[in-house]
Parts: sequence; structure tokens; C-alpha cells
Amino acid sequence: MTASARLGAVLVGSFLAVALAAPLLAPFDPAQPSLSENLSPPSLAHPFGQDRLGRDILSRIVYGSRASLLVGISTVAVSLTLGTALGLFSGLAGGWIDEAMMRVIDVLLAFPGILLAIAISAVLGPSLANVVIALSVIGWTGYARLVRAETLSLRERAHVESAIALGAGPSRVVFYHVLPLLAGPLAVQATFGVAGAIVAEASLSFLGLGTQPPAPSWGAMLNEGRRFLLVAPHVALFPGLAVFATVLGINFLGDGLRDWLDVRMPVTGYGLPAIKKTSNE
Amino acid sequence: MNAALRRALLALPTLFGVATLVFFFIHLIPGDPVDVMLGEAASAADRVRLRAALGLDRPLLEQYVGFLVHAAHGDLGRSLRDGTPVSALIRGRLPATLLLAAAAGSMALAVAIPLGAISARHRGRWLDSAATGFALLGASLPNFLLGPLLVLPFSVWLGWLPVSGADSAASLVLPAVTLGLGMSAILTRLVRAAVLDALSADYIRTARAKGLSEPAVFLRHALRSALLPVATILGLQLGSLFGGAIITETIFAWPGVGRLTLQAIDSRDYPLVQGCVLVIACGYVAANLLTDLAYQRLDPRVRFGRREAR
Amino acid sequence: MAALFIVWTATSGCSGRPRRTETLVVGLEAMPTDLDPRFATDAASSRIDDLVFRALTRLDEHQEHVPDLAVDWRFDAPLSVRFQIRADATFSDGSPLTAADVRATYESILDPKTASPKREDLAFLESLDTPDDHTVRFHLKAPFAPFLEATTIGILPRSQLASTERVRIGSGAYRIVGVTPDREVQLASRAEHRGIREIRFRVIPDDTVRALELAKGTIDLVENAVEPENVRWLEGHSETCVRRIAGTTFQYIGINFEDSHLRDLRVRRAIAQAIDRPSLIQHLLGGAARPAGGLLAPEHWAYEDDVKKYSYDPAEAKRLLDAAGYPDPDDDGPAVRFRLSYKTSTIDSRRRIGEALQAMLAAVGIGLDVRSFEWGTFYDDVRRGNFQLYSLAWVGVSDPDFFFTMLHSTMTPPRGNNRGGYVDPEVDRLTELGRRTLDAAQRQKIYAAVQHRVAEELPFIPLWWTDNVVVQSERLCGFVPYPDGSLISLTTAWLLTAPNFPRGTGSTPCGCGHS
Repeated sequence: MTASARLGAVLVGSFLAVALAAPLLAPFDPAQPSLSENLSPPSLAHPFGQDRLGRDILSRIVYGSRASLLVGISTVAVSLTLGTALGLFSGLAGGWIDEAMMRVIDVLLAFPGILLAIAISAVLGPSLANVVIALSVIGWTGYARLVRAETLSLRERAHVESAIALGAGPSRVVFYHVLPLLAGPLAVQATFGVAGAIVAEASLSFLGLGTQPPAPSWGAMLNEGRRFLLVAPHVALFPGLAVFATVLGINFLGDGLRDWLDVRMPVTGYGLPAIKKTSNE
Repeated sequence: MNAALRRALLALPTLFGVATLVFFFIHLIPGDPVDVMLGEAASAADRVRLRAALGLDRPLLEQYVGFLVHAAHGDLGRSLRDGTPVSALIRGRLPATLLLAAAAGSMALAVAIPLGAISARHRGRWLDSAATGFALLGASLPNFLLGPLLVLPFSVWLGWLPVSGADSAASLVLPAVTLGLGMSAILTRLVRAAVLDALSADYIRTARAKGLSEPAVFLRHALRSALLPVATILGLQLGSLFGGAIITETIFAWPGVGRLTLQAIDSRDYPLVQGCVLVIACGYVAANLLTDLAYQRLDPRVRFGRREAR
Repeated sequence: MAALFIVWTATSGCSGRPRRTETLVVGLEAMPTDLDPRFATDAASSRIDDLVFRALTRLDEHQEHVPDLAVDWRFDAPLSVRFQIRADATFSDGSPLTAADVRATYESILDPKTASPKREDLAFLESLDTPDDHTVRFHLKAPFAPFLEATTIGILPRSQLASTERVRIGSGAYRIVGVTPDREVQLASRAEHRGIREIRFRVIPDDTVRALELAKGTIDLVENAVEPENVRWLEGHSETCVRRIAGTTFQYIGINFEDSHLRDLRVRRAIAQAIDRPSLIQHLLGGAARPAGGLLAPEHWAYEDDVKKYSYDPAEAKRLLDAAGYPDPDDDGPAVRFRLSYKTSTIDSRRRIGEALQAMLAAVGIGLDVRSFEWGTFYDDVRRGNFQLYSLAWVGVSDPDFFFTMLHSTMTPPRGNNRGGYVDPEVDRLTELGRRTLDAAQRQKIYAAVQHRVAEELPFIPLWWTDNVVVQSERLCGFVPYPDGSLISLTTAWLLTAPNFPRGTGSTPCGCGHS
């Protein structure tokens, strides 16, 4: 393990620990306002300072990690499952089904992500769950393309061909031959996907979609903090550092994972490490 | 040429899909443009009248077909608000968007190539991590923070650049840097990966054996091989910028297509939303097409057989 | 590519086009939606229209109608008002303004084909006629006291009204030179006018960026569009100064009377007393508001001060809720008596207020679910009655007849603004009477009774009247902020040129010593 991968593991580990142990770590109730102390800078009692309503920022960051963890993991879980299933189907079926699937993916990617998010929240109402839905609706495409590409090329590999020749049914082919080979790239992709989802949540909060008050999320805190950059930069600084540290850690870990699994990630347009905003700004 | 034509034709179903999706989305979400335009004090009769005048009282399917047919002829309809042709409104914004995209792309390259090269050169050492870390900083900070953070020193304290707007060429710098830094994260990693790949390839060893100096090897061969995947991804990123720069456009008051779309959504101006989304999709599709074609032409390996398993 | 970019930016100069000292730049949050007075409904459009289009009357600091194009008006028959138009008014294209133009403007709005949102506002008009070139008569269908409300609509030239295009020619001190969609509106002063030669309204959507532009000096004036924290920051800058005057914008919490909890007066009163308005104002609004007792602000001619007031009293609120039959299950613990949903837009400061309200109501045992929606959806929900509580503001209420459209039982959307479905025969009777009564003193009594009743029954919960906060460059002199936010005093303001304007904080009062 390289030094950076180790650093990544430490950062991600801390992130998970903080998220899981939030009630034990947060010194204050994250939703408890104290209007008279609003925008107070960092102090002994409040090491990260206080936000617009006087709430303790450290506690909100600790609890906010839960929202980020939830969004990250849920988005990836949904996207991964959906994308893998559809990508496999497309790759194995081939022909016009495959072409149709590619068109569907193209349509989803050509559609501006922001509009999709607004439409979804307008119809379903704003909430963290709907952020996951909005991100997944576009997110599954990356995994689908990766899986499809690998499936297509794996179909022609010798052992797969012989397995089919020996009469193996499609599900057997899938589970014993294709999926194990995909596990590596998918794991790496998923790791980066978590980072992407966490950052995308911040962008969606700019539009006011996402966690509803008083639940804290790093994205919402960043969005709130941008109004006070001139008078109280600490409100945006600490969530920004939290996001940065988490994204950094995930990326380093992902790199390490990739090196360890010795995975060759195809680079041409699909299967990209999805670090950030290409269509969901 | 055959392949190019085929790809271009395949874009049509995509655009059809986008048109359908946007039409039904925008008509089915809550909010009524007639209410937006007439406000609260109008009588029911006025509303009915305006709805009829705008053609909004026809059956949904009929409006849908009408939209498709007109769009196919290049007629994107008229804005519900004041009847200005949608294509004129969008045409007014396109140059700004294209300009921003080009500038952001250049900025992204200007950051990614050196950083990626440094990363690859000093692989595994602290400089590598530092360069990656810097690239990720640009990636993890949302644009709505990055923008004002850049404005403060460069515009207010130093006074070098305008804060916002699109009055002069200098107004382009900050929005382009903001957008470009975000795009550069992926590109940096790509440059790094591609350069590393290339450095260990056979033809590099040959070049070294032939006596070429290290920097020359690096620059001439390794870096060049990185350009292809980088150009590919950059092309895709630029394609997404049509609609993807909304936040940056809002922060900097940059009059692009993204912001027009957002305002159209706010006022439920159906034809304008539909037109904007179609144009954004066209931009994406065109960028994809060009990128694919460039890739096919430039990558010797791909030219001779697409199914080479890596 | 990179090299080209660098060369190009280096050769394009430093900070935009050169500043002319006779140009005033005003920062706007959003592009005016429609400058044509027949269609202008948003604040930005109204601000600009004040400078470009004159109307029969305009509003002064007390929200009273004073002459503008009409030098006087009187009833010459029970249902007929005669307006005398001044003889010296001209449009910016040089043509004289006559009664025919006034008539043509109103008839255009009344024409259904124009689809003007103001058409319904003129429903009281039977017809107009023009006995001579400088007289216009309004013929009313029935006695209608608030008829003057309709006289603040800008007058357009008859010749321009023939087409269906938007009209940009008016008789005001400034004329529209250019409109760049989503960027700016440019006004130039008309030849005979001295003072500020050119006014540019620039659209800058982001609040921090607006503050930065003010600090840098690239914009000179922003009204009610700088967040309190940034106002504080700007106060420390030597080139800008801040002015606050009492305003009339009324922020309130809207109530849906379909809801069983909210129908109970004790619950509404409890909510009113659970809210610590002074604290919210001081900490969230930077002190730039006054706790409100009702719709009309103290400066209004019809304002009635002697009404029931609700002070911050959580203990009383709890008592009221108990009395209403909603006991607190765990006495100050996290469990709540009942939950209510509170809808707001995605504007950050509104969400912040919602969160503060959430905490205050939780303290008395009411669980508030704060949900923020994209604007179109939010507004649609409010209009359809799809809410329990929401908060919005009424801007520019001038005639107390507004109580009619806001509270009369027949004025539920889409007819009017009674979004919560409030039904009160007493209010119905009073507001109907108020419309028909022409005598000012009597109207005052009627509306005093309305305000009394409204304060007792709480069909909405008053929050505050927001002050007008103007951040301006120190080189702008003679600008007087109006309570309703009008920028009309720009027509008599002027700009100091470079060597003369004072530097340093506080040495010269903002606005060059003129108030």
C-alpha cells in the first residue's frame, strides 16, 4: 500500500467512524439554535464556530457526515445495481436491444441533470431520498456502460465461449464468468462514485433540493456558508474541508484499490472514474 | 465516412428521446405559465382566453406532436411571455456559452497537463499526492464557493478583473477559471494515467535505447499519447457544459444558455424550456460525435479493429 | 490553445468599459420581467417604470396619491371622476401627451386581446371618455373608493398602442435606450433633464457578488437586495454608505383554514405568541425590520394602532394550546402536540427564518416540518391551498381595499388572494363597505374596524415590516429612499465627480447631507 492509499484509508475510516458514532461525538444538539450567538467565530466552546442560527458547526458537521454517507452509499448502491443489471442485459442480448439501451443512456446524459433534479423534486417533493433518486437516474449510466463494454469483450474470450459451447445457460455465464471479472472495475468505479455523489449533493442544495431543515448536510452547510463568505468564512470553510478531506480520502483509497486489484480501467468515455460534475454541476 | 454518417443518424433517436422527455416533464410538473403571467388578480375568463391564445388548451398529445413537427423543421416556437421566437432567444445566448466552454476547456488543459505530468513524473512520491490533492480541491469545492473565493482576491483586492457580468473579455477569466478548475480534476488523473502507461510502453524503451534524452522522451512521446484520451474526455465535458454551467453562470451573471433554461423553468415557459433543453442536448450529442470521430481517426489501435480487448 | 487564451486576455484591458462619471449603475437581483406598464407586475419592472413612465398619480411617502400627469381630479357626478391632465407633458419621442393617450392606454389594458394581468384591476370601470384634449373622465360601474389605485399605471402613446408589441416610450424623466435580456437595462435622461445622465440597471443574481461589486465601486446603488451580513461588511467600506428607512413590505405567515388545528383561534394565537419577533429581526435581519401588528404600516394614512397585539409569551402559548385541547405529551420533551407543515421557497434567508420558527414552535410543543420548494412549485402550492402554513410578503400595499382581495370569502384563488380560505361575515361586510364609501374619514373608521377584527381573529400571523435598506456609493447625492421602495428620487439626484467626493467613513452623511 502506498502512503497515499494509507492516508486515504485513514480519512475514509475516520469519515465512517464519525458518521456511525455521531451522537457520541457531537458536543451539542445540531438542531438547537441560539440566535444571539449567530455567526460567532471559532472559540473554545465551539471549535468550528456557530452558524447563522447559532448552531454549533462541529456538531452539524459530525451529524452531516451521516447525510453525506447516506447519499453517497445509497446513490452508488442504486446506480450500481441498476447499471450492472441493465449493462449485463444489454451486453449479453446484443443486437437492437443493445442499441436501444445505448440510446436511452444517451438521452439521459444529454438531458441537463439540473432540470431532471428540479423536475423530480417538484413532483416528489424535496428530500434526501429524492436527491438519491435524482442522482441515480443519471448515475446508473456510467456503470451500465462499463459493464456492457466488458461484457461485450468478455463474450469473446476463450473460456466464456467454451462455457457457452458446453451448454451453460446465460445466468451461469453471468455469475461464474462475467461478474467476477467485473468486480474489480466496478468496485473502483463505485468508490469514486461515492465521492461524486457527495459533491453533487452540494450542488443540488444550491437549488434548494436536498435535506430539509433542520437536518444538517455538508452540501446545505456549504450553500448556507457562501452567503457569509465576507463576514463569517468559517461557516463554509469547515464543511468545505470536510468534503475535501472525504473526497481526497475516497480518491486515494480508490487509487490504492485499483492498484491492488490490478485493474485496467478502460478510459474511452465509459468506465471513467466519476469524480465530479460533468452533467450534474 | 460511413461510420460518421451512421453515428450522426443515431443521434436522431436520442434527440427525439430528449424532446419527448422534456415535453412531458415540463408539462407534468406543478405550476401553470398562465398563472405566472397573469398573476393572482386575473379573472377566470382572462385565464381561459390566454390559455387558448397560447395554444395551451389543446390536448396534450396534440401539443406534443405539434412541437415535434415544428422542431424537426427548426421552429422551436415562441416564448409564452412575449412571443419572441425561442430560437432567437437561444441564439442570443449561444455565443456566451460557447465562449465560456472554450475558455473553461483551455483553462482545464492548462492546469491538467502540467499537474498530470508532474504527478506521473514523480509517481508515488509526495509531489504526486500533492498535485492530485490540488486537482481534487478544485473538484470537491462546489462552483458557488469557488467563484466568490476567486473574486475576492482577484477582483476586489487586486482590482485586476471585473467581478461579474460579460462586459469585456476580462469578464471571461474568473468564470472560466472556476469552471475549468472543476473539469481539470478528472483530466489531471487521466494525463497521469496515460503518461504512466506510455512511459512503460515498448516504443518508449526503443526511444530511450536510441539515445533520446529523458525530457525529450517525456515530452515528445509520453505526453503526446496522453492527449488522445484527454481530448476525448474534454470533448465530453465540454458537451455537458451547455447545461452544466448553470451555477457558474448564475454566480457571475454570465448570460449563457444554462441560466436561460433555469429562468424558463421558473416561469414555466414551456416552449423556451423545450427549446433550451433541445439545444443543450444537441450540443452534447454534437460534442460526443466529434469526439468519437476524432478518436477514431487519431487512435491507430482503434482504426484497425474496435474490439481489441485491453 | 492555452497560449492564445493568455494572449487574448492580456490584451483586453483591465476592468471593463471605462466609467463615465455621469452614469449611475444600479444592481438588480433579477431581470425585470416586463417593462411595459400594462404587463409590469414584478418589483424590478416597477422600479424602472417609475423613472420612464409617468402616470395620472403617484404615491408619496405616506402611500397617498399625489398629482403626476393629472393636476387634479374630482367627482363631477356620483359615478364619474374627472381628471385634469397637465398641458406640458411630452413623450420621449417628442409628441405631446394628451387625454387621448390616457384613454388609449386604459382601453388597451381593458382589451381582452392584450391579455394584461392588470385587466381585472380595472373591472370597476364602465368606460372612459375625453371631453377635451386635457380631460379624461372615468365612468365607474358602482361607487368604488379605491379607484385611484388604477391611476398609477404608466401612460403610453396612442400611436404605439396600435401594434401588439411591447411599448417602451413614456413621458418620464428617463427614456429606455437599451434592454439586453438577462443583463441590463439602460436609461438615458431626456434632454431637458439635468442630473444623472445615464442609469444602467445591471442584473447580478448572486448576493455576495453584488456586495463585492458595491465594494469595488462598479455598481453604485442596490436597494433591498443585500443580505444583512453583507450590509454590515459594506458599512465598513469607505466608498459605500448604508441607509435604512422604515418600509411597508409586510412579511406574514399564511394560514390554511381547512386545517382542523389552525381553525381554532387559540392555536393561531398560540403560534403568534410563540414567535419571538424582536429576536428574529435582530439576529436574522440585522435589525432591519419592525415587528408588525398588521398589514398596514404606521406611516399609512389608514393605520390603526389600537388593536390587539401579541407579544412573545411561550408560557401563554402553551396555556392556549392546552386550553384548545392539545396537551403536550411529555411536557417540554421532544414529543409534540401536533405537527404542521410550513412551506417556503428555496431562497436561503427564507429557509433560515423557517428553521428559526421551527425551533420556536418546538419550544411550545408544536412540530413544524419546514419544506422548501422550487419557486414555481411553491407558488403554485400556495395558490392552490396546498399548504398548512407558509410565509410570504406583500409589497407595495397602498389602498386598504387590499383587505378585500386578501380576506373576503369570495376572493379565494384564482379570483383573489384569500389563499387560506378565510370566511368571516364581519370582514366581508366591512371590506365591501369600504369599497363603496368615498368619504376618506369614514373609510378610515371602516378600515380601523377591519384592522381591529383582523388582529382579534388572526387570519394570518403578522411578522414584520421590513425596512428599506439602501446601499449606495458615496458619490450619489440627493437620493431619497421611499418606504415603498420607489426610486423616483433618482430624477432629482446627482453624482459627484472624482476629486470632489468625500472619502473616509462617516465624515459626510450618506447622500451628501440631504435627506
